[in-house]
Amino acid sequence: MELKEKLTILADAAKYDASCSSSGSTRQNKGGIGNAAYSGICHSFASDGRCISLLKILLTNCCIYDCKYCLNRKSNNIKRAIFTPEEICSITMNFYRRNYIEGLFLSSGIIKNPDYTMELIIKTITLLRYKYHFNGYIHAKAIPGSSEYLVKKLGTLVDRMSANIELPTEEGLKLLAPNKKETSVTNIMSTIKENRNKRFTPAGSSTQMIIGATNETDLDIMTKSSNMYDNYDLKRVFYSAYIPVNQDKLLPTLKTPPLTREHRLYQADWLLRYYNFKVEDILSNDNPNFNLLIDPKADYALRHLNEFPKEINTSSYYDLLKVPGIGVTSAKRIIKSRKYFKLTFKDLKNMGVVLKRASYFITCNNKYFLNKALFNKEFIENNLVLENHQIPKPSLTQLSLFNE
Amino acid sequence: MNNNIYLYDGTFLNLLNLISFLIKNNIKPLNIVDANYEPTLLDKIINLKITNNLNIITNIKNSWGKEILKVMYYVYLSNEKYKELIIYYFYLNTLKYKTNILNMRNLKCVNSSLKIFKYVNNETHKLKGFIRFQELANHVLYAEIEPTNNCLLLLSAHFKRRLANEFWLIKDIKRNIISIYDKKNYYLISASNLKMNIELNKNELEYEDLWCTFYNTIGIKERRNDKLRLNFMPKKYWKHILEVSDKNEKSNK
Ligand code: SF4
Repeated sequence: MELKEKLTILADAAKYDASCSSSGSTRQNKGGIGNAAYSGICHSFASDGRCISLLKILLTNCCIYDCKYCLNRKSNNIKRAIFTPEEICSITMNFYRRNYIEGLFLSSGIIKNPDYTMELIIKTITLLRYKYHFNGYIHAKAIPGSSEYLVKKLGTLVDRMSANIELPTEEGLKLLAPNKKETSVTNIMSTIKENRNKRFTPAGSSTQMIIGATNETDLDIMTKSSNMYDNYDLKRVFYSAYIPVNQDKLLPTLKTPPLTREHRLYQADWLLRYYNFKVEDILSNDNPNFNLLIDPKADYALRHLNEFPKEINTSSYYDLLKVPGIGVTSAKRIIKSRKYFKLTFKDLKNMGVVLKRASYFITCNNKYFLNKALFNKEFIENNLVLENHQIPKPSLTQLSLFNE
Repeated sequence: MNNNIYLYDGTFLNLLNLISFLIKNNIKPLNIVDANYEPTLLDKIINLKITNNLNIITNIKNSWGKEILKVMYYVYLSNEKYKELIIYYFYLNTLKYKTNILNMRNLKCVNSSLKIFKYVNNETHKLKGFIRFQELANHVLYAEIEPTNNCLLLLSAHFKRRLANEFWLIKDIKRNIISIYDKKNYYLISASNLKMNIELNKNELEYEDLWCTFYNTIGIKERRNDKLRLNFMPKKYWKHILEVSDKNEKSNK
């Protein structure tokens, strides 16, 4: 098989992995080629708008497992390919020199058995690091079910190692990925957490969940995420809107992937990690799913309107962060600047505050920006919904699918 | 305020020296320009031919810190029309507010400086990703850029670290300057001083084709989003980004 055809097959099979981040590592160039950029660098953007930072490929799309949602499952009659370690090195080096990529993201279907697959991955990356002196970013997938010593070995070679939890619940996994156990994934996460240091996966670990293939609520998903962040020190949880690639009676039939829902999950994830929100602030048993019309932070503000408006010149950092339209950067700027002068509405714009969202929820020197009589839930909500028009419209089929 | 326009030699060092001289002598210039400025009949242009104090940059760094120096330098690299004047007022206010200056966003010169700083910084960061090298027949890597701001020096520092063991050239075709790296240092020279023979390596087109293949494969059809892509990768850069340039016909299908 020609190299070009292999690349097509093995990039196509890898494209559903959401992660392409190349951040979090400070690896330096020691007498070879390449280094890591701590904040990560996007080299291109695909037609779907996602960042392309790493050469994202599978070592092989052969697989002994039969996960229902996966293109590579054993029972699918598709063309199979396998890269040799040298081929991967050659493409990586040549792409890197031309500045197409920030590094390599290597994952694989399971060939023969998990340990055998891991050994192939390790062999490839060892070659890249020691024969080609490649110091660029490498993200590798650890194969669930492989031996701990292999996971440890891989960890010394890469910047980031991850293992996908795949589905938000153990039941979901049993149903759609009967060969996989949640513990085989969480074991890898524990190994990474225990061993992580400057030389062992410096950029940490991440994981991914498919959204909308099984019938979890957003509360289930966010609770899972929150636990994983707490227990395994993960850098990121990725949410991947389910895209039907296979026909199966166990799988839902979606016309379009649930992109708005995915977007809401990312927004909520952000709130957990940087805004000091807890899952119970944004979701509850009575309110287990996100409002698709309004982002979770604005939704929170509307449900807690009695805590608003917040005074810009006196509110604490975390109170400022609760205001829709104020982000981490602008909140920090406000705190710093107001030591030197009293902020007015005009200054807020210079701080990076999105006034068309924030103005409903703040006062400056006790002045409310709008007509105080309009400080009510209905008015603000209607306006914010219209502000949100840039997000993809939710499709009604997604909304009703699991509610029936 | 007087109605004079002051001339500097186009270098950052000379600009800082001129500004410092003007401030010491209580002169508020109408504008500060370099030799590329096209004067109108009414302009009074004054060339003070200031001798450079070579320590001025270190002095600024020591008394105000690296961040403040960096802001002034990035504004200098920008394409902003009145950038020299902005730096003048930023400098003037820094004498008053010292290291607190960066928090004084209610001052116009600070707000503008920080905005321009961010713009130059962002464009440089983008180009660190968007630059595409081609391998020439003599194995030298060659790239062309056309940035809005003058990012070439900042980019060179990045690629010196990253592609340390390669010979490379980056040409800013808009400003006609070229950065040459010889595996030790990089030098910026006028592109007119370099005769170049751009003959591609025999493997070059094969890798370009492989990369375009990868690019065309990795996007998910069901998630197609041209607006998002344009947001992150503005059209003005496309000409020099292989996979979305005219060379890759399939990139938009
Ligand atoms: S183990 Fe991975 S590659 Fe194999 S079928 Fe399951 S998801 Fe697909």
